[in-house]
Amino acid sequence: MNHHRARFLSVGITAAVLTATLAACSSSGSPSGGSSSTPASTKPILIGTSLSLTGDFSADGQAFLKGYKLWVSDVNAAGGLLGRQVKLIYLNDRSDPGQVVTNYTTLISTDHVDLTFGPFSSLLTTPASAVAARNGFAFIEGAGGAPSVFTAPANMQAHNVFDVSLPIEDEMVPFANWVASLSASQRPKTAAYPMADDPFADPPVQKTQIALQKAGVKTVYSKIFPAEVPDYAPAADNVAASKADVVVLGSTDVPTVGAFMKAFQQQHYTPKIFIAAAGPDQGAAFTSAVGVGNAAGTMVPNGWYGGSPNPQSQKMVAEYIKIYGGTASDINADVAEAYSVGQVAQQAVEANKSLDNAKIIAYLHSDVTLQTVQGPVKFDSLGRNGSATTYIFQWQNGKYVLVLPVGSPGSASILNPKPAWKNG
Amino acid sequence: MSGLAPPSAGSAAGARHRKSVGWPAGRAAQAGLIVLALVAVVIFPLAFTNQQVSTIAFLTLIFVCAAVAWNLFSGYSGYISLGHAVFFGSGAYAAGIAARDWHITGTAEFALLPFAAAVAGLIAIPFGLIALRVRRHTFVVITIAIFFIFQLMAFNLTSFTNGTIGLDAPFLLWDPVSFDQRFYYMALTLALGTVAISWLIKGSRFGLQLRAIRDDEDRAASLGVRAMPVKLTAFVISGAITGLAGALWFFFINQVLPQSGFDPLFDLTVALMAFLGGLGTVTGPMLGALIIEPAQQYLTTQFSNSYLSQILLGALFLAVVLFLPRGLIPTVAAKGSGWLEQRRGRQDVPATAEDGDGGADGADAGIGSPAEAGTSAAADAGSGDTSAPAATSKGPAS
Amino acid sequence: MGTELTRAVINGILGGGIYALMAVGLTLIFGVLDIINIAQGVMVILGAYLSYALSVHLHLDLFLGLLITVPAMFVIGVIIQVAFIRPLHGSERTSMSLLASYAVAIIIEGALYLFFGPNYVTLNAPYVNKSISMLGFHLPYIDLYGFALAVVLVAAIYVMLYRTTFGRSIRATMQDRTAAMLVGVDVNRVAALTYGIGVAVTAAGGMIFGASGGGFNPNSGYDLISRLLALIILAGLGSIGGALVASMFMLTLESIVDIWQPNWSIAVFYAALVLVLLIKPTGLFGRQAARAQ
Repeated sequence: MNHHRARFLSVGITAAVLTATLAACSSSGSPSGGSSSTPASTKPILIGTSLSLTGDFSADGQAFLKGYKLWVSDVNAAGGLLGRQVKLIYLNDRSDPGQVVTNYTTLISTDHVDLTFGPFSSLLTTPASAVAARNGFAFIEGAGGAPSVFTAPANMQAHNVFDVSLPIEDEMVPFANWVASLSASQRPKTAAYPMADDPFADPPVQKTQIALQKAGVKTVYSKIFPAEVPDYAPAADNVAASKADVVVLGSTDVPTVGAFMKAFQQQHYTPKIFIAAAGPDQGAAFTSAVGVGNAAGTMVPNGWYGGSPNPQSQKMVAEYIKIYGGTASDINADVAEAYSVGQVAQQAVEANKSLDNAKIIAYLHSDVTLQTVQGPVKFDSLGRNGSATTYIFQWQNGKYVLVLPVGSPGSASILNPKPAWKNG
Repeated sequence: MSGLAPPSAGSAAGARHRKSVGWPAGRAAQAGLIVLALVAVVIFPLAFTNQQVSTIAFLTLIFVCAAVAWNLFSGYSGYISLGHAVFFGSGAYAAGIAARDWHITGTAEFALLPFAAAVAGLIAIPFGLIALRVRRHTFVVITIAIFFIFQLMAFNLTSFTNGTIGLDAPFLLWDPVSFDQRFYYMALTLALGTVAISWLIKGSRFGLQLRAIRDDEDRAASLGVRAMPVKLTAFVISGAITGLAGALWFFFINQVLPQSGFDPLFDLTVALMAFLGGLGTVTGPMLGALIIEPAQQYLTTQFSNSYLSQILLGALFLAVVLFLPRGLIPTVAAKGSGWLEQRRGRQDVPATAEDGDGGADGADAGIGSPAEAGTSAAADAGSGDTSAPAATSKGPAS
Repeated sequence: MGTELTRAVINGILGGGIYALMAVGLTLIFGVLDIINIAQGVMVILGAYLSYALSVHLHLDLFLGLLITVPAMFVIGVIIQVAFIRPLHGSERTSMSLLASYAVAIIIEGALYLFFGPNYVTLNAPYVNKSISMLGFHLPYIDLYGFALAVVLVAAIYVMLYRTTFGRSIRATMQDRTAAMLVGVDVNRVAALTYGIGVAVTAAGGMIFGASGGGFNPNSGYDLISRLLALIILAGLGSIGGALVASMFMLTLESIVDIWQPNWSIAVFYAALVLVLLIKPTGLFGRQAARAQ
């Protein structure tokens, strides 16, 4: 008997919640139109981005945020963009593709941002750039370098993605060239290629493997392991057992590298040459995790480093240290990638004297060369940075120094072989 | 605030027709509410063209489908699946692989939706045949295990799934507003259809068999319910709908990756939505999805301190656990009934939670019978219950 | 090949010890309260962070620090049980305890983000990177210590279960809650203390996990929870010693697969679980059929 009443209640509650949800949604949409009374010239330019402040990519997301903020404060200190102040609006995407889509639509349709900057990781870049494409926005980003980002249908259609960093596939080319250039007596005999299953980590390692095999370096271990496992020790132990002269680690982050280094030490195995795709480029986040002494000799490819002689970069480094403390070697390379995104956008806007995204896209596709803290940037038809320079860095005496290509300005000579592990 | 008004209005109407022959009036009012709600959801995207709203609305509807579909198996049968992302991911991958291999572009992609549902439904057959042989916690963990095997296959069978690179959906040349509107209506159709299927099952003999299995599978079997085919049928229906939702989600998001299609948090989220709203009810999981998904999306966009928004969401869940420990619909329905009985002053003494349980079950299907209340009481007494007095007092009832 | 296999088995046994330390609390809670504690993965990480805070700020040795983190986690466990798990009754108990423990998990994760940030940290001590040479293999000290700790704790829990009155109450509650009450066991107290002990043991698991791996951040618990659940179900409901054996078995299987196909080792892990459960639904050491069907 009361069943019927209960059913009535449940329908009532559902209707009420539905109403409340709709109301909440609609109220979230409304405050957007409020600021139209301010004259356009004094209204700040709004730049929207979505970053992973929690979730899988949170460590990188936070570093990216620092880079964007640093660029915004620099632009504003120098009088702003087109005479207007710049304001950064950032949302957290929890490393979740559904949230990243919500966030960019929120930025575009509710916050009415003028420009959109990319998120962290190729994994989120494709869904995000599709939203931007649909809305006619240029999508300038610094951390979506996997080949699939550029060949995604949305970008093939809209050509709106611009990656200011280097395409990851070629990252380790200077390293491979260097190994091949060593004299036969110095050249390593064997190499191991453990790779995390990740679109970032594998392509440069696989390319290196082909190059080293051509140079006569025998492959003794080449396996892919899952990127998200709590325990890398078994894979690391098998690499140690291979006693390879060279380890080329396809890593995604600090803990992967840390786990391999720890297992290597425990197995009393020191590769003569050790390079990792990512992790050692994270500045203090890396050294504090593995220990400064153990970092020595570890190499990593990247497009930027704290000691870069590039004057723009030196200025950014000085400002970073003023705000966050530490030394140049502590700065995560993500900061420079994010900062470069801002710089590219700034040069495009200033060249056009307009915030029109269609003009920005056309300008960035016009074969211009732009300057960033990471060096020159020039985009090909799919938005890849064709003139990115690839460097190899090495930790030496607690400092992150440029070692390859040999003879680059400011470079140090390479520490070879890698020093033995320092316990403690 | 607004949440309080309709229930009391509802109870008043209920009171009226209990005294007299007020059923038609109550039905009319109920039908009126349903029609109003339907009109609201249909005109919604026309009234609010803001993309933030329509994006959240679309994602919410996808979760309405998924939570209601999950519930029509797990809620009705009592087999808690934490592996439904297998179907969501398989639906998305089926659409993505078919689009890639058959060179499907543009709006033709939508022709793949039934295909995605069929693939997910087919996968549910062996999955169910394996997992449904065990019960309770063992079943939960087997579904988790099978889920991870599927995620690993998406990662490792690279020539088939593209591995970590994932698959792209065809890009649609729709302007942003109509893009959102069209996806909204597709998701709405799917959601309403799922709710209708769930409602039909609940009221059917099939639904009764499922609940008999939930309450006491061995007894149900001894009464002639062929448990395996019944459970498996529900599992396949549930899986096919979830796969369809996955494919639609994939077209909207534009990309599927092993870790986003086969997402362990998806498994948990759909279950939590049903728990929150009321496990085994028709409206509960829908309600849970309508609360959790917008709350999560919205909180995340509103708080610059993302950690606080996460803590806030956790606190919200805990509040539900403490104050609505049976889920929203059953608790409120039980409280509403109890309050009404008290007000009318002619209440039989044991207005226990039990009463609400039977009421909530009946709430949706209208087939609550004394016998059914009896079986659920038996199940209650049998299950590991912390509240000793409740357990002992209920025990004799069976 | 022979040495590779032997190494894989040694790795599996030692790694199994670490997993048992993380899983034992879960199985204890499972056995007595009959609920799935989704927060277990985050509890491991919380334990690791507590050890981290003590070692960084007070320069306390990791194992000495356990004297503080274990009691602290015990208190946290009791509070969670009394506040959020105890009030749950009836047929929704299983589902709502999942919701409650998930809520606890995301709150703790959020709090860890607030206090420690998202960067990965590791637990350091002079012995963490060192190993001892034995039988031609290098065995990491931390893994050996972790294994020893696991054996000691499992033995301690056994003694508690089978040699104390409190242990008798726990076993009585595990077998039949109503009967336990009838003979005068305060099941609410038993449930709270068991939950506390389960979480407390996890503090030790968290410390070893943090010291043996490459680094952790507040988000690291998610990769753990499903593996821990798999292990205790494989072991059999509430079987403490079984958790240790099952962990060693599964981790050994995984390291053996790692020799050839590391990318399939997790799939083999779960496939083995499914297979065992199909043959023996109560798990390897489950004595009783899943209770109160």
